[in-house]
Amino acid sequence: MEPISPSRRSFLSLAVAAPLAAWGLSACGTAGPGGAGTTGGASMWSLTGQPNEGIRKDTVDVFNKANADKQIKLTFFQNDAYKTKIKTAIGAGQAPTIIYGWGGGTLKSYAQAGQVEDLTAWFAANPDVKAKLFPSAFGAATVDGKIYAIPTQTVAPIIFYYNKELFAKAKVQPPKTWSDLMSLVATFNAMGIAPLSLGGQSRWTSMMWLEFMFDRVGGPTVFNDIFAGKPNAWSNPAALEALTKIQELVSANGFIKGFSSITADSNADQALLYTGKAAMMLHGAWTYGGMKNDGGGFVQAGKLGWVDFPTVEGGKGDPKNTVGNPANYQSISAKATDAEKETAKKFFKEGLFTPAEIDAYIQNGGVPIVSGIESKLAATADKDFLTYVYTQSKDAPNFQQSWDQALSPTAAEALLNSIDQLFVKSITPEQFAATMNATLGK
Amino acid sequence: MSAGPTAAAGPGKGRTGPLAWLAIPALVFFLAFAVLPLLGVLLLSFTTWDGIGAISLAGLANWFGIFTDPLMYNALWLTLIIMVVSWLVQTPISLLLGTFTAGHQKYRALLAVLYFLPLLLSSAAIAIAYKALLDPNFGLAEGLGLPVLAQDWLGRPELALFVVIFVIAWQFVPFHTLIYQGGVRQIPKSLYEAAEIDGAGRVKQFFFITLPQLKYTIITSSTLMVVGSLTYFDLVFVLTGGGPGNSTRILALDMYLKGFKANLMGPASAVAVILVAIGLALALLLQRIGGKDNSGSQLEGS
Amino acid sequence: MATVITKRAAAAPASDVRVRGRAGVRLRRLNLPAGAAGWLWLAVIIIPIYYVAITSLKTQAGYFGQNPLALPKAPTLDNYRMVLASDFARYFLNSALITAGTLVPSLAFSFMASFAIVRGRGRFLKAVNGLFLMGLAIPLQAVIIPIYLMIIKMHLYDSLLAIILPSIAFAIPLSVLIMANFIRDVPNELFESMRLDGCSEWQTLWRLALPLTKPAIVTVAIYNGLGVWNGFLLPLILTQSPELRVLPLALWTFQGEYSVNIPAVLASVVLTTLPILVLYVVGRRQLLSGLTAGFSK
Repeated sequence: MEPISPSRRSFLSLAVAAPLAAWGLSACGTAGPGGAGTTGGASMWSLTGQPNEGIRKDTVDVFNKANADKQIKLTFFQNDAYKTKIKTAIGAGQAPTIIYGWGGGTLKSYAQAGQVEDLTAWFAANPDVKAKLFPSAFGAATVDGKIYAIPTQTVAPIIFYYNKELFAKAKVQPPKTWSDLMSLVATFNAMGIAPLSLGGQSRWTSMMWLEFMFDRVGGPTVFNDIFAGKPNAWSNPAALEALTKIQELVSANGFIKGFSSITADSNADQALLYTGKAAMMLHGAWTYGGMKNDGGGFVQAGKLGWVDFPTVEGGKGDPKNTVGNPANYQSISAKATDAEKETAKKFFKEGLFTPAEIDAYIQNGGVPIVSGIESKLAATADKDFLTYVYTQSKDAPNFQQSWDQALSPTAAEALLNSIDQLFVKSITPEQFAATMNATLGK
Repeated sequence: MSAGPTAAAGPGKGRTGPLAWLAIPALVFFLAFAVLPLLGVLLLSFTTWDGIGAISLAGLANWFGIFTDPLMYNALWLTLIIMVVSWLVQTPISLLLGTFTAGHQKYRALLAVLYFLPLLLSSAAIAIAYKALLDPNFGLAEGLGLPVLAQDWLGRPELALFVVIFVIAWQFVPFHTLIYQGGVRQIPKSLYEAAEIDGAGRVKQFFFITLPQLKYTIITSSTLMVVGSLTYFDLVFVLTGGGPGNSTRILALDMYLKGFKANLMGPASAVAVILVAIGLALALLLQRIGGKDNSGSQLEGS
Repeated sequence: MATVITKRAAAAPASDVRVRGRAGVRLRRLNLPAGAAGWLWLAVIIIPIYYVAITSLKTQAGYFGQNPLALPKAPTLDNYRMVLASDFARYFLNSALITAGTLVPSLAFSFMASFAIVRGRGRFLKAVNGLFLMGLAIPLQAVIIPIYLMIIKMHLYDSLLAIILPSIAFAIPLSVLIMANFIRDVPNELFESMRLDGCSEWQTLWRLALPLTKPAIVTVAIYNGLGVWNGFLLPLILTQSPELRVLPLALWTFQGEYSVNIPAVLASVVLTTLPILVLYVVGRRQLLSGLTAGFSK
């Protein structure tokens, strides 16, 4: 018998070589820990979804052209997946240099874990950058008196949209009060049109209803108490009334059938509005741009309408109060190399909010958080919408930040979960309050 | 095993001989990536960690929390329902189909080719296909115009769970069918011939020959099915994400959502420990029911 | 060698005769309920697949306008082009790499371990066997959090190796179980004769056990291969770069972005399944007999 040892060796080496080969090939694929591979470059993550995706890409391209030795590598993720991915990345020490977010409680958790750079000193040294932006946008970027992110992109209050064509067909007016809304629900259901579009599976879309209702019924103090962690703040009678009214809306078939399985990621909910399957939709101001792009002329033909969120009879909320995202935010990862951080800071100073970017946002139906753009807004085709958003954001007595961003991630997840259950009516308002009370202060 | 116990071949290197070394690579991998994480999960369940910052000890707080968490009991209950109903749905169908395809008719062979298709698809693919199919506004029901089909399948809590069970069955019945087909094909024809001579009809043959002979196959298939149902994640995650309203938030999904969405790695680890404990208990139970005789041959007497 | 063959051959001719003989008459009586049920189940299997296939060839507008089960009026390959343009070739490569990278080591190590467990003596190997049996009950999902932690510490986060290493570990228990069962059925006389010829254990493994265990190896390769190819959780948690996405993950991302464009989404489903479908068409007999042989023990 000839010795078989050569085959034993080749056998074992094959067994070891295969994963190593995979590793080698994959190493060519990864860009290294969060970096762009080249020295001094930085990495950045952002969200998919036109038009902002395109604007972001153009801005970075312009910066990269002007800074050949400090390129920024941009990667896009969908909204819902991004929120989980960024946390795993940060936890793994593989966060991108520039972290996109919404400020508030999540930013606070990053700051407390020492994962984001303190930019207070940098802003002090670059006052022109700070002066350019909306002062109110810095609230959500500040943790314990220190600034951890730069406000970016657009201000996005939540807007009550409606399909003018369908309203004309039904010969009705947009709702001013809650009872108006309930009767509209009955009208549209009778016509076989869904009254309200909703991407319920994303859950934060349903949350927008609560945000407004809490305000309209009881004013800003209701949520402020919750945010401050006051015991049993969720059991506030105003809160319970708001929750009850929302369940009434669900029971009246106010929301389109199947809303619990529609996600907002894919803009399916917007599609329902502009294809005439739903008459109204409560959504962020950023969807205007999306609907303009994908709606096949719906927006351009003037079929999209918007009003303030209805008041609730007997409620304490100012009809001019609004909710939403005061801005989006970009932070710098504390674990990035110094060179990467420098690139990021350079981008913040020179790359963001160039006149080209500001124009791009405005052209696409967004209001960048830059001061002094009134005249620019008035000069566009979308001036009605843009001026509306601008004035609403500027003049709102209270602009409540989206709850799932204001609260800590743990409380936010509990909130979204409870909202999900509330909208399918598997819990009562009292049970909702009890569950949420347990998360106060966490 | 006719010869007496033979000593290990080759130079007498002692009781375990050189053979033990052959098992080392497998052992190393398994210890490193399965056993060690198992201990890790146990340890992590006593800590507080948000996945981003540092890990700190938390004593028994997570465990107290878990046992008073209604979501946990919900998850346990849902997992139990899925396990039992899946078994009740899949086993009879697979048994019958396996027996059916074990026959040698040509058309049955053709059908068997097609039956196997779902198993080729990834869970993600199946979930996505069904999501499109069942969309109440853009899916099959809307197009066919059948109101009874146009339910909000994935949007109503009562329906979502049964949709999940159906899709799981759709995906895995082919696999178990194959197992049973193999099992049936191994039953010696002599047994059937004897029964035929005794005048037993097909139904009697099925119950008195096929089923008993398939005992070990049933145990294998059931073990795989039951332990497998503990770990369904991909399909449910993509199909419903745990909703609507927690109605499909099974244990594995609850663990993922607690850990990676709510940043509560400690409690998530506790749920994971529960998952493992149940899995181990079930595996042991099923082994005991089947007899630990998996080294014996079933062909005795033929 | 002879004994094994006769054992297996004993079953085959007998059944063939039966088909053409008396069984023919017997079976014709039973056809109706069984046959009907068979066709019914076929419909259950086929309708969704048919729906996926034809929808992927429709345009989005065409899909909204038509009956979902009708054939496309103007079939188009645009959806497929769109999917391919979204880098699916790379995702396919990634999937292939992790599958190969998992299968080769896990098959090799499991086979060696199975051989050792069946042929060896001593408490150590018995303990190893027991450990692997218990390991069957450990769900991957349950230990994903510590694995995440470990992978981070090993600086392997966001790499294909991060998916491969745990996959190898979790493929081992079932592989060992099935392969060990097969090796156990090899009559001791054969091993004796190898030993008498002066072969070492390694040579016995290579020349005797390996060929005889082929069906089990094929079974295990197919089962584990499918599992890794279609795996979702490990890539979801342990990778982040788009370049490293594997097919199921890419599918999910694609669906998330384009879910309104149902034809495009279903085209991506078809494309990601195509490789396995091709393998199935080409190697169906081996596939099916492989899977059957291994599990029916």
